[in-house]
Amino acid sequence: MINKKLALGLISSIFLLASSVSAGESVSAKDCSYGGKVKSIEATGDLEVTFTMCKPDPAFRAKAAFTPFSIQPKEYLDSTGGGGSILENPIGTGPWKLEKWNRGDSIIYTRFDDYWGKKPSFEKLVVRWAADGAGRLIELRSGTVDQITNLSPDDFDSVKSDSNLTFIPVANPNTLYLAMTSTFKPFDDPRVRKAIALGIDRSRIVDNYFPLGSEVASHFTPCSIANGCAGDSWYDFDPDAAKALLAEAGFPDGFKSKIYYRDVFRGYLPEPGIVAVEFQSQLKDNLGIDVEVVVMESGEFIDESTNGRLDGFYLLGWGADYPHVTNFLDFHFSASNPQYGDVHEDIYGLLEVASTIANEDTARPLYTAANNAIKRIVPMVPIAHGASASAALNTVKNAHFRPFGAPLFHHTDPGKDTFVFMQNAEPISMYCADETDGESLSVCQQVVEPLLGYAIDSGNIESRLATDCTGNSDATVWTCQIRSGVKFHDGSSLDANDVVASWAAGIDQSNKNHKGNTGAFEYYSYLFDGLMN
Amino acid sequence: MSKLGKVSKNLSDNLDEELLLQKPVSVWKRTIKRLLSKRSGKIGLLLICVIFVIAIAAPIIAPYDPQEVLIGKEVVKLKKREAPCIHVFGCDKVKPQHIMGIDGNYRDQFSRIIYGSRISLSIGFSTVSFAVVGGVLLGALAAFFGGWIDNIIMRMMDVILGFPSLLLAIAIVAVLGPGIRNALLAIAIVTLPAYARLTRASVLTVKELDYVKASLALGASPTRLLLFRILPNSLTPIVVLATLGIATAILDAAGLSFLGLGAQPPTPEWGTMLGSERNQVFSAPHLVFFPGIAIMITVLAFNLFGDGLRDALDPRLND
Repeated sequence: MINKKLALGLISSIFLLASSVSAGESVSAKDCSYGGKVKSIEATGDLEVTFTMCKPDPAFRAKAAFTPFSIQPKEYLDSTGGGGSILENPIGTGPWKLEKWNRGDSIIYTRFDDYWGKKPSFEKLVVRWAADGAGRLIELRSGTVDQITNLSPDDFDSVKSDSNLTFIPVANPNTLYLAMTSTFKPFDDPRVRKAIALGIDRSRIVDNYFPLGSEVASHFTPCSIANGCAGDSWYDFDPDAAKALLAEAGFPDGFKSKIYYRDVFRGYLPEPGIVAVEFQSQLKDNLGIDVEVVVMESGEFIDESTNGRLDGFYLLGWGADYPHVTNFLDFHFSASNPQYGDVHEDIYGLLEVASTIANEDTARPLYTAANNAIKRIVPMVPIAHGASASAALNTVKNAHFRPFGAPLFHHTDPGKDTFVFMQNAEPISMYCADETDGESLSVCQQVVEPLLGYAIDSGNIESRLATDCTGNSDATVWTCQIRSGVKFHDGSSLDANDVVASWAAGIDQSNKNHKGNTGAFEYYSYLFDGLMN
Repeated sequence: MSKLGKVSKNLSDNLDEELLLQKPVSVWKRTIKRLLSKRSGKIGLLLICVIFVIAIAAPIIAPYDPQEVLIGKEVVKLKKREAPCIHVFGCDKVKPQHIMGIDGNYRDQFSRIIYGSRISLSIGFSTVSFAVVGGVLLGALAAFFGGWIDNIIMRMMDVILGFPSLLLAIAIVAVLGPGIRNALLAIAIVTLPAYARLTRASVLTVKELDYVKASLALGASPTRLLLFRILPNSLTPIVVLATLGIATAILDAAGLSFLGLGAQPPTPEWGTMLGSERNQVFSAPHLVFFPGIAIMITVLAFNLFGDGLRDALDPRLND
């Protein structure tokens, strides 16, 4: 009797197992009318996933290498429902396994001995945070941390001349811009916006407030990105023409407004408060515009500015997530982005077509026209491409900072058992499918990995969990071959279903695991033109 | 008349005569004399006078407009947050003199410190005036009328006193919005209960005194009693508290500005200057040192003066 039960149980579990393997996971939109790029994602084999697009997406590989598209076990996603403990305790395949997140203090990782790639040479990785640059540098100098991010520009020289420290330039392409929301008066008048573009001495700002190596922005996108600076360069500084134009628009004596910013250090904006005051004085001196400087809490500022609710000027910027012009232009000037007020078909129409063209030369005329339209319409004023730097103790071998993403610490050798890294702020959550905050992404990418990844010293795309992703001739179907023998930190093995489940939780609004921290899954939405279902 | 009566009459005659011969000295004149006889009071008063002169003569003393950005306006290219350059101490004569250095926005720090004294003094005096007028009025009403009026006023004051003062000020500014005017109002509100309490206690004592009763018997109206009999005789402790209160108000306002809730850029307020350059404490210490010193000296001046004044007004501490 007992044997019969056991046999039945065994048979049923074999059947269950067989069915779960054979039924490859998939997620698909009913049709492409929702406006997004992704039509379906399907596990077409145990170790093969096929992405079918609604329209060509030549930048797919660059996007798939970005941290929000990292893979976690399907079973773990199902058990957490995409919320709750996954926000604090991700399970990934990366070289570091999360040991503990001490809220308000640090995150501790231990080496993952079953990592498929180069294993870390040291036992423990600790990530800490401090908001001000001076504080971070003191910690580094005293030896309590081994590497820090976002060195204050004023400390560049002293770090370079300190024989105990290594100065590490960060080559992340970025842009600082002075934005205006055209749904508020007087920014609805294009002459006012153009007058502001003419009336800001951008060279003075870059020369006097940015570290050496920073550039005045000739276009919104930095020139290091292909097609970034196709088209005419930005307006030269001409205060007389600016004043005349402002008078023509009905403001001969300027007007009153505000300039909003958040007090957060970024590569594109090293000293937000100081630079905001410089804008205040330039607007007053060159245009007679009297602005009040208003500092806002970071989260509130991002929410208000990106939703087009700030009634004055605001200082914001963008650091590249992946090395493609779409990451700059499509995010900021798409039809669905209200951050500059009215959207302009003259810009987004061209960008939508250009984003479907794989060949850079073929796309160039479109990007030229789009950049020229941005110059003509002036939704914002591009100011600078900032240089930034990290610093490490010189005892650390191979200390680096990637142009795209946080350092790959398993390539670093501190010559001891523990390596301590200090960044700007504590992460918001560690489920990065639903995070856009740089500090969160940097701690996530030690634990979880996407299908592809960026090289340690460039924007080149390398294999990670997929050995490669190849597209068909018009970039509408992308097939990724998943690496075999990869283990998750919970001991389970990676297969195509995990990939589909992880992507589905982000991109499919009807998915049972589509919960996250805010539920917005912004990068899924922005980079693929919207969430399905 | 008994023998004893005769003696006492002679004595009182002599006394009257002496008093009549003595020149009358007003309370305030005597107080100033006693204040100046104490070293702390003297130093405090001197410092306050110097600060006042600096504030009044700011446009003459300050070499630059405190809000002027000096980029491209000088012969030698300025460096951001340049250290002080004083020719007497060997700084290159070719370079223009900036005795307290240059701030993060290329402005002359010395000129900003000089103009900052105007703001700090006006903050100190306006908040304290507001708090004194409000506090004295409320305290006097509470004590004079007593009963439910006293209860309502004093319980309200107790509620305000129940919060840590700077925290309450931050909360008030958070609601009203940052800015120097709102910061002044917030500080005035949180300091007001101290004046109300003190006035109440003082009025309660004074209103029981004979001359007040006499005045009442002569048919003085309650307003006359309060304004001309009671209040002038209860003000001594208030004057002392107000002097010390100016120091606290300047400190609190600097604290709020440091947190970005008080004076807004480009206003040259010492707390704001300290706050905006707080990260440069090691790379450009002069930018936090000078505003800090300015706040310290001003607060010290009012504290010394307040202490001296308290001693001078205290009848138990006779010279």
